Amino acid sequence: MDKKKSSKLVNFVTNPKYLMVLATIGIFLVIYGAGILMYGDRGFSKLRTFMMLFVDNAYIGISAVGMTMVLITGGIDLSVAAVASLTGMFIAYGTTVLGLDPVLCMAFSILVGVLLGLGMGALVTYLKIPPFVATLTGMFLARGVCSLISRESISINNELIDKMAGWKMYFMKYSGGEWVKIKPVAYINLNVVIFIVMIIIGTIILQKTRFGRNVYAVGGNEQSARLMGLPVDKTKMMVYGFNGFCSALAGIAYALYVKSGWNLALQGGELDVISAAVIGGVLLSGGVGYMIGTFFGVLLKAVIPSLITFNGTLSSWWGKIITGALVLLFVALQQIVMHGKIFKKKSDPSHKKE
Amino acid sequence: MKGIEIQFPGVKALDGVDFSLRRGEVHALLGENGAGKSTLIKCLTGVNKMDAGKITLEGKEIRPTDPKNAMDLGISTVFQEINLCDNLSVAENIFIGRQPIRRGQIDWKEINRRSQELLERFKIHIDVTRPLSQYSTAIQQMVSIARAVDVDAKVLILDEPTSSLDNEEVKRLFDVMRDLKAQGMGIIFITHFLDQVFEMSDRLTVLRNGHLIGVYNANEITKLELVSSMIGKDLDEIFDLKRATQKPDAKMMLEADHIGVPGKVEDISFNQKQGELLGFAGLLGSGRTETAEMLFGVTKMQNGDLKVAGIPIKIGEPMDAINHKIAFCPEDRKRDGIIGDLTIRENIALALQARRGMMKPMSRKEQDELADKYIKMLSIATPDAEKKIKELSGGNQQKVILARWMATEPDLLILDEPTRCIDVGAKAEIHRLMLQMCEEGMSIIFISSELDEIIRCSNRIIVMRDGKKAGELSGENCTQADIMRIIAGEKDGETA
Amino acid sequence: MKKSKESIFKNKLAWAVVAELLILLVAGILEPNFFHIEYNATTGMFYGSLIDIVNRSAEITIIAMGMTMVIALGGTDISVGALVAVAGAFALKLLRWDVTMYPTPGDYTVKPFILVILVPLLICTAMGLFNGVLIGKFKLQPIIATLILMVAGRGIAQIATNGKQFTTGYTPFRFIGQGSLFGLPFPIIVTIVVCASVMIFVRKTAFGTFVESVGVNPNASRVTGLKSDKIIMIVYTLTGFLSGIAGLIYSSRISSCDSNNAGVNYEMDAILAVVLGGTSMTGGKFSLTGTIIGSLIIRTITTLVYYFGITSESIMAFKAVIILIVIVIQSEPVGKWLATRQARRQKVGELRG
Repeated sequence: MDKKKSSKLVNFVTNPKYLMVLATIGIFLVIYGAGILMYGDRGFSKLRTFMMLFVDNAYIGISAVGMTMVLITGGIDLSVAAVASLTGMFIAYGTTVLGLDPVLCMAFSILVGVLLGLGMGALVTYLKIPPFVATLTGMFLARGVCSLISRESISINNELIDKMAGWKMYFMKYSGGEWVKIKPVAYINLNVVIFIVMIIIGTIILQKTRFGRNVYAVGGNEQSARLMGLPVDKTKMMVYGFNGFCSALAGIAYALYVKSGWNLALQGGELDVISAAVIGGVLLSGGVGYMIGTFFGVLLKAVIPSLITFNGTLSSWWGKIITGALVLLFVALQQIVMHGKIFKKKSDPSHKKE
Repeated sequence: MKGIEIQFPGVKALDGVDFSLRRGEVHALLGENGAGKSTLIKCLTGVNKMDAGKITLEGKEIRPTDPKNAMDLGISTVFQEINLCDNLSVAENIFIGRQPIRRGQIDWKEINRRSQELLERFKIHIDVTRPLSQYSTAIQQMVSIARAVDVDAKVLILDEPTSSLDNEEVKRLFDVMRDLKAQGMGIIFITHFLDQVFEMSDRLTVLRNGHLIGVYNANEITKLELVSSMIGKDLDEIFDLKRATQKPDAKMMLEADHIGVPGKVEDISFNQKQGELLGFAGLLGSGRTETAEMLFGVTKMQNGDLKVAGIPIKIGEPMDAINHKIAFCPEDRKRDGIIGDLTIRENIALALQARRGMMKPMSRKEQDELADKYIKMLSIATPDAEKKIKELSGGNQQKVILARWMATEPDLLILDEPTRCIDVGAKAEIHRLMLQMCEEGMSIIFISSELDEIIRCSNRIIVMRDGKKAGELSGENCTQADIMRIIAGEKDGETA
Repeated sequence: MKKSKESIFKNKLAWAVVAELLILLVAGILEPNFFHIEYNATTGMFYGSLIDIVNRSAEITIIAMGMTMVIALGGTDISVGALVAVAGAFALKLLRWDVTMYPTPGDYTVKPFILVILVPLLICTAMGLFNGVLIGKFKLQPIIATLILMVAGRGIAQIATNGKQFTTGYTPFRFIGQGSLFGLPFPIIVTIVVCASVMIFVRKTAFGTFVESVGVNPNASRVTGLKSDKIIMIVYTLTGFLSGIAGLIYSSRISSCDSNNAGVNYEMDAILAVVLGGTSMTGGKFSLTGTIIGSLIIRTITTLVYYFGITSESIMAFKAVIILIVIVIQSEPVGKWLATRQARRQKVGELRG
């Protein structure tokens, strides 16, 4: 029995399906561990530091949930940050300038996000426009509309938004007969809850529903998926629609985080989201990726700037370079692990697919 | 299926073909490349739309709109190329699209258990939770068959299911097929292995060039008759062709000594003199094309030695072959031949330009002259040289590719099925050109599935079977029957 | 009939020219002074909106020259914007090597001055080569390969300048972006030289045909004897080099380096210029002249939109609408639909005739 269990474990670890995710988790643990060793005395080992990784990056994570799905189908979405920024603007302008109900503004933003996603999905699916170009158009559109609404940063002044943004769940400990907040204060806020819920929902969709499995099939081999009788077009549309939803949700989270709307907010944010997913082991050519990988990809990407801050002497810009290096590392790893076999087959001259 | 007709631009892919399948029958569908087998299958599965004709299943007329629809109607297909997603697990590939759902969730345990059981029937014991990409092509093939079998189908189509299986695996597949047959399933079986045809099938349908040649009972036709009906005489008109005369003092052009690529073609030895037209005969998949690709460096030659004009050479990629004055018109014109969006002029000049190198460009005038020369010489039907090549008909595209290589003035020209899917007139034109070039001292390797044209043009004929050289015949006094006998495997050895 | 078929591609170019002329016409109606070009005798320079458009479009035009071929190969290069920042950062880094010793912006410390030009160009070329190797040799998807430098590039730029914004008053450097030659702003001269060189290189050698061939059908190109990996590497390296030139012009224009904002969205603009110029995103035939016009269209719209008092950022919405129209027209299904419609119409015509 014991032997069977251990062989199962070996099987699990060597299964290339999980290898990339395990690599992400491994590298995260190594870097986090190294951080604790080096800066543990300055508080890196504290729960607060760890929780701040979530608080500061939840909006990236929420968007990465949708991005993961898009990438698994073999597509890409460059519009996520712009749509999030547009959402922030809707909320800020709607509540503060027009004095509308914030719930209405949020619902409207989500509707716009989903519609934009579906629109880009239609360009990709039915007009066969490369996802890169189609979503680039979406990005231009969202940013442009955002700037048409306002060029200035609008800070949000609304009771409900304040309440939502201010909601915190503190980590407590039981000492001296009563519950007290641990020191330094560690908490999670609404964004973190949304992030984790979205990761769970994403996992359930991808692993437990037929739709989710179709997403993988489309990314693995669209032609085969069609011949196996899977609804390829519908799947792609739904994925882009869902991603639009996630972008809008990320926008709401970002609005709660900074409590303002700005047309230039989140410039280049799409790259953060994409690289988080890639670092999380999602294959950019499609067909491979896990929500849990993306979850750790977000954390791994987040822990680097955090470490640089703790170091204090390094320029914060090393963060970008290290992120770039990590992307390179993971792409290389993917080529070796995932493609090792596929590649051999493809370079087989009888297939001659370059 | 009755009177199926499909039209593709330029070529009629299927012309009034009737086909019927009984319950509990294995029905083999035979024909060479481009005969229309695949097209027929694509109609049945709704990948292609029919221009005319109708399909009836159990007395009811059906119109499959796509593979999913065909599957729902009871037609399950294993396509020639493995159509699975190799990023998914083995089990999932079998069940995707129809996963068992329990409490609103996919029941993975059930999927894995049932897949394991299903594959046991094929005596395959593998970990079904691993990605498909980890397993050999043979296993992948079995998995795709397992998927098709597990669907509750009335008709099962197997398109070349055995091409990547070894004997043991083929036997297992046949056992399963017999099971299914006994259960009353009708099976359409496409293969180029004639032995398997006779082993498994009850009836045979032969197609050629989109036409129905005949329907036979398997026990009423000999292998030889079958080969002859598949290859047949296609040209009714007899053209006045004279084989190129061999000069006795001609130098040796090409000497191949046990060359091969493991797993594709092995142990090929032959030689060819200057001005000689060497025919390569054999069925689809016999290693004809693979030999040609190896000689040109499209596939890297791994064993054996090659000498061109007496000098040992190594060919690692096409450029090496071009530098040794070898030229190659590939079989798959669309994939490996034409550069669709470029003009006729650019397509003709490309190979010569590639050999000269980037920094020595041909002037526009030179290109124009080259293009005009060959358009005239090969009578390419086009208003001018600035038309995109993809707008030409198949035969004219072939002529442009021929022109591309003639422009490099090669010593050895390899033509792989140069007359496939082109009309009779263009065919005769290409024959005439080949012979003329041979007279001028060029050596030509000519690959074709039509024995008739091979016999009429070649000085010598090499017959291929199962990736090996099966025999060599002199072109002068050989008959189709001689070649067919070697192809059918009834007689081995040299009959020079 | 014969003529119309052969000039389908040239028609795309014609559309671009017509579009540009239409936009100019609108500009002329709205702002009669639009076409006014004035010669200032004291500075020896021409002034006017048209000159300004050409001048301001220099960076995008130069990058788009390389991007045209990248797209003709069926790829994309999204790292060009980051490379613009890198070039600027290293140029300023060399100019202000020792800020503590020479605190005023007028000084510079690296001699000879030519190094200030050459080193950034060399670095950008090397980065282009890096992209090219990943794509040509290791067969990475272009978008992933260039994503790496897009992310890391700005980081490298920031590190080079320690995250500071240097400014420079050094005249020879400022001349690149702000000087003038033959009465024209110097960036225009650079653009002309670059475009002419690239065009000569591409069209007077067989390189252009090779690029198109690999872009249309890599398999057939290989069988025909082309070395596609080398061609891919040359194109990406060239694009890196051209981004470097654009980076120098940009940083000279603002007399400083701004690693955060230099070249932001340049990749988008360059791609847009290429697509507007009639080169299809799916690869194949390309037109460098078209790209130049495409780049001018973008700049003209920008300039025009300013007249409406619309902010520069909202121009993106207009760009989006334009791209949308272009890509929908270019897309395969729409093309097929148009073709069948045309064929049907021809048939009807034949029947009637």
